[in-house]
Amino acid sequence: MAKEFELNEVEVWDGNYATSQALRQAQIDVVAAYPITPSTPIVEGYGAYVANGYVDGEFVMVESEHGAMSGCVGAAAAGGRVATATSSQGFALMAEVLYQASGMRLPIVMTVVNRALASPLNVRGDHSDMYLGRDSGWVQIDAFNAQEAYDLALCSFRIGEHLDVRLPVMMHQDGFTTSHKAQNVYPLKDDVAYKFVGDYVPVDDMLDFSRPVTHGAQTEEDWHYEHKAKQHKALMDSRTVIDEVFAEFKKLTGREYKRVETYMMEDAEVALVLLGSSVETAILAAKQLREEEGIKVGIVAPRCFRPFPYDLVREALDVPSLKAVCCMDKSAPGGAMGALFNEVSAAAYSTKSRPMMTNYIYGLGGRDFAVDEAKRIMKEQKAHADAGHITTDIQQFSGLRGPKLGFFQTRRG
Amino acid sequence: MSKGLEGNANRGVRELGAEEKVGWDQVSQGVVLNSFVGETENPAFLKPEERAYNDFNSYTATVASWRIIKPVYNRDICIDCQNCWVWCPDTSIISRDKQMLGIDYDHCKGCGVCVEVCPTNPKSLLMFSEAEGAETALANWPEKKKKEK
Amino acid sequence: MVEIRWHSRAGQGAVTGAKGLGSVVATTGKQVQAYALYGSAKRGAAMNAYNRIDDAPITNQETKMFPDYVFVIDPALAFSDDITKNDKPDTQYIITTHLSKEDLIAQIPALQDKAERTFVVDCMQISLDTIGRAMPNTPILGAFMKISKMYELDFFLDNMKKVLAKFPQKIIDANMEAITRAYNEVK
Ligand code: SF4
Ligand code: SF4
Repeated sequence: MAKEFELNEVEVWDGNYATSQALRQAQIDVVAAYPITPSTPIVEGYGAYVANGYVDGEFVMVESEHGAMSGCVGAAAAGGRVATATSSQGFALMAEVLYQASGMRLPIVMTVVNRALASPLNVRGDHSDMYLGRDSGWVQIDAFNAQEAYDLALCSFRIGEHLDVRLPVMMHQDGFTTSHKAQNVYPLKDDVAYKFVGDYVPVDDMLDFSRPVTHGAQTEEDWHYEHKAKQHKALMDSRTVIDEVFAEFKKLTGREYKRVETYMMEDAEVALVLLGSSVETAILAAKQLREEEGIKVGIVAPRCFRPFPYDLVREALDVPSLKAVCCMDKSAPGGAMGALFNEVSAAAYSTKSRPMMTNYIYGLGGRDFAVDEAKRIMKEQKAHADAGHITTDIQQFSGLRGPKLGFFQTRRG
Repeated sequence: MSKGLEGNANRGVRELGAEEKVGWDQVSQGVVLNSFVGETENPAFLKPEERAYNDFNSYTATVASWRIIKPVYNRDICIDCQNCWVWCPDTSIISRDKQMLGIDYDHCKGCGVCVEVCPTNPKSLLMFSEAEGAETALANWPEKKKKEK
Repeated sequence: MVEIRWHSRAGQGAVTGAKGLGSVVATTGKQVQAYALYGSAKRGAAMNAYNRIDDAPITNQETKMFPDYVFVIDPALAFSDDITKNDKPDTQYIITTHLSKEDLIAQIPALQDKAERTFVVDCMQISLDTIGRAMPNTPILGAFMKISKMYELDFFLDNMKKVLAKFPQKIIDANMEAITRAYNEVK
């Protein structure tokens, strides 16, 4: 039996440490990992728990992140509770195996500490790696601070391992801003946390010798499509399971999570849609702007990036007073509008209010997202609302040095 | 025919690839293929004809129609060395208790590897036309070859 | 909201100090943040650590701040770092130095008009005398308690002991002495 870890009612933990504690409490059988900044402390912490008897499990050192995810796939197919962590280039190197894990319906939990993708080489946080995963068939959940990283890591096991879901889950947090920022974290006691996560229930495990199975079979045009459709449905249907798990977590802790978080949207005239730690800064900016200038700003934050909560985003934006919405993408869009802009705009198109939609690229490579900058962007939305049309380029860049950069205009009101 | 040669009732009951194409709602989760129907104890210790193969197991499919030439087995010469059993790429050599019994013609595709690796002189396995009867084939078996000087 | 910016060198324990302060503060029901701006920096490179302390949950995730307190825990950084960056009219400076306050201010133009909110304490010497090596991160907190009056010294010491609980008793005692001396010696 693993030793109990003594915890205080309130701890001052950073996102990485909080995550490693959640992984410890979930009593994972196998962690196969390759260290990369800024996610290293998560698996380093887990390795220490194994070495010091706080976990009955295996830590598998591998030669690369491709090997790490491959090890996770093998261990999960064998029938264990499996987790790992990565960032950035490591995430990119895993990409091939990510699709295998989801296609094979293996509920691996990967705690991703979001970091920019090279080149130029950069260890700081943006959402390039998170975006890279968005078609990989994984559930993607986003924590905005260290407490949420802890909470959502626990929830991730429940969601992924649910028999109606059986899909791998990425739990994202922002590199450094969340992963290395210590704050008050209220952890659960070991037994309470484990009881919430529950015993692992293996499905089609290869170590069940009474039911030999083939994992990773090849299919061509005759079967592939049906399997992908079934997998997509499982991911879409995971929405209800996510809601259930969040509801149960709230009952246990009082801390409430939703697939789409909304703040001050009831009477909002303008809104920002964004992900990650910037959501918190934006909430602060919105509150201040409401007080200082009476501008009715709301914030919408898709907590669940995949499955994309088309339903709830539409609901959040279907506010009669809403006139202008700015979607903020913290990833270099590579010759397109930002992904969040595209997806949120699609949802907004079917609302009655049909707000004006604009896009900001921001925070690349860890560029600080300032309260004042958030307010400036909010005021710009208000200007669109007052003018009755978009007064700027549709895609702009926030916090960028040099001449103003922007793309596309519209005359639509 | 001995039990091993005959196989179980499911062996080669359909053409490979001719299985029923079910819809997305009925395909297995995660492309997992179960080898057997239900639970089975120590399948490694069961002989193939004793195993409850699943419809998706290739045991239930046949590739016999792929063959143009087929291997014929000559018990009188065979020394039970198991070479053919080891080398056959389609596990179509049937052997029990280290004794070669014959060929599983449902799964043999007629590649000739078994003939190639057979060490006896003359060979205990030889390729004949698919249409050739086993008796005629055995009757026409070649003599032992003299060593060339 | 109280905001603190630390000026330190990588390896001097500013992050540990910021987290230690955060841990003490959190036990009193307040909300804290403790973080640093560092990355591929090597040991000895100048770096900043930060604290935010508030009664309500803190949602400001911006790195930059307009600090209420600036801790300079390396003597040389008082001269080479922009320690008065984002200064507010009431920002208070606690600087590690062996110089007298007058001599220090005389040499740093940016502090010239801030004499009444600049405080000096020799955390380097204090830590050498007590802990046995240059670890200015805990004594600076003693000086901070005196200047900010955030907590009574005894209360702070008691809670700091709990934060350091995993260390040997000798080290805990040395840190307590260092904090107490800095509390008494800051000018
Ligand atoms: S011909 Fe090929 S497939 Fe048939 S038994 Fe010989 S080796 Fe096996
Ligand atoms: S290789 Fe030839 S001799 Fe050996 S077992 Fe097969 S048929 Fe018999």
